[in-house]
Amino acid sequence: MSSEDVIEAGRRRFNRVALAPSLVVLLAIAGLPALYLFVVSLTPFQLANPGSGSDFSAPLRNYLLLPGDPRFVNSLFVQAKLSFWGVLLQVICGTGLALLLNVKSRVVEFSRSFFLIPMVLPPIVVAVIWKLVYTPDISPLYYAASLLHVTLPALTSDVNFALWSIIIADTWEWLPFTFLMVLAALQTIPDEYAEAAKVDGANPLQIFLYVTLPFITPILIVSAMFRLIDSVKAFPLIFLLTQGGPGDVTEVTNYYAYLLAFDNNEIGYSGAVTVVMLLLVCAVSLGVLWMGRRREALA
Amino acid sequence: MSGAIGSEVSIRRRVAIALLLLVLLSPFLWLLQMSFKTNDQILQVPPPLLFKPTLENYSALWHSAFSESFVNSLLSASFSTLLALLLGVPGAYALSRWTGRGKGALRLAILVTRMAPPIAFTIPFFLFYRWVGLLDTVTGLVLVYTSFNLPLVIWMMQPFFETVPASLEEAALVDGASQRVIFTRIMLPMVTPGIAATAILCFLYAWNDFFFALILTRTAARTAPVAVVNFMNYEGWEWGKIAAGGSLVMAPVLVFSLAVRRYLVSGLTAGAVKG
Repeated sequence: MSSEDVIEAGRRRFNRVALAPSLVVLLAIAGLPALYLFVVSLTPFQLANPGSGSDFSAPLRNYLLLPGDPRFVNSLFVQAKLSFWGVLLQVICGTGLALLLNVKSRVVEFSRSFFLIPMVLPPIVVAVIWKLVYTPDISPLYYAASLLHVTLPALTSDVNFALWSIIIADTWEWLPFTFLMVLAALQTIPDEYAEAAKVDGANPLQIFLYVTLPFITPILIVSAMFRLIDSVKAFPLIFLLTQGGPGDVTEVTNYYAYLLAFDNNEIGYSGAVTVVMLLLVCAVSLGVLWMGRRREALA
Repeated sequence: MSGAIGSEVSIRRRVAIALLLLVLLSPFLWLLQMSFKTNDQILQVPPPLLFKPTLENYSALWHSAFSESFVNSLLSASFSTLLALLLGVPGAYALSRWTGRGKGALRLAILVTRMAPPIAFTIPFFLFYRWVGLLDTVTGLVLVYTSFNLPLVIWMMQPFFETVPASLEEAALVDGASQRVIFTRIMLPMVTPGIAATAILCFLYAWNDFFFALILTRTAARTAPVAVVNFMNYEGWEWGKIAAGGSLVMAPVLVFSLAVRRYLVSGLTAGAVKG
């Protein structure tokens, strides 16, 4: 055995020792809970009924109930609507903002940090901020509307506006994310491309469509997918602004699962709803990984 | 990109940027100014823009149970950050030097843990804690927060270790240093800035949590974000206190996140895009 082999063996041993605690802990606090969630979803477990936690007589019962549960089906559509409009607005506004701020100027570069504020605020503070905006007595928005002699409906409790009030707040919170991602992509585009197009007589719109857009499309897709996955987590906004209402207009799947488990004590059924949601998130995550790998391969 | 270069940024663009910034930040500024108003001033129509600021709301908070919640938030966020760093930093180093198989699977596992909706972890943690008596304890929160902070550390730290040239390690090996000495004496000092940035991000994620604390705590271990929402439970909401509480919760976040601006994106996209 040469000395190199000894070193290599030592390195491997060290790597194993360094990695083992992380893996064990990850397994214990992430792997086991996931498994436990799945097991619970196979039972009709209710907190008030202790024996129901180990009743595996009809393991697929919860899952078979799902397609016929109108609130579950509705919650998927609500989530789809919220995610679609939220992500679309964030990508469009974020790109616009990035184009506007993509200039080499000390002042503008300094101002970029302030545009990031909504994203870094604690989500619950964002929800409080929008609660203020949507509460007629104290809202600057309602005051401004009254000056213009416009009467605004109670946005968060109106069937037509409730979901949009969430979408607007969510867009405000996460627009900085798409802005940051697109800005980073814009900065990698060599100036020569746009200059060459300009020399050839292209107008700004054409430069954007034929030079800039193809360059930033991959990053647009990646950031849209990230926002898509994270849009499932819009819990504090819904919790504070609409509580899923009016009716079930803003009741997304995540919120429905929360109500089932911690309001109705239907832990087993809520587990099944959550497992389905988790599978959907996994599918999108795989898509993100795949896109990321393709991007690396292209780069 | 096209557009102005150097100092030729047009006035129109500057004005547009300034206006947009003002509009975007106005809801945030509204909360901030409200925290310095008395309840009467808050309900006044039209809202006074010039008023004598008061610290009444803040001092009322300081003398209420809110200060304990603030301490709970500090403790749970700090300890989970510490735990995640202790476990995750050596793990990230090992992974960055890992040439064997299984790296892709681990990467997916880390990504999924980061992406999973919190409710997926809340139900099992809630049941387990109810059983072992960890509900409403700071220890319980620390464990939950570590479940998303540990993957974050492993992910964030890898690129930092990868930037340390291998020749440094090889030179030390030739001199007869053991792997452990190389890790503690050579690698760790080289990645200190990375550790600092990662620590701040971990702290922020735990600090920002609302959902886990809402379900896993009652009164004893209640964190500041949950305490703020609790001000909304009474008749005649105390808007001044709500605004002041919200401002206090976001204060550390604003300071820290500007410090780690560069790493915000890699933290948020952990798992899919190379850092």
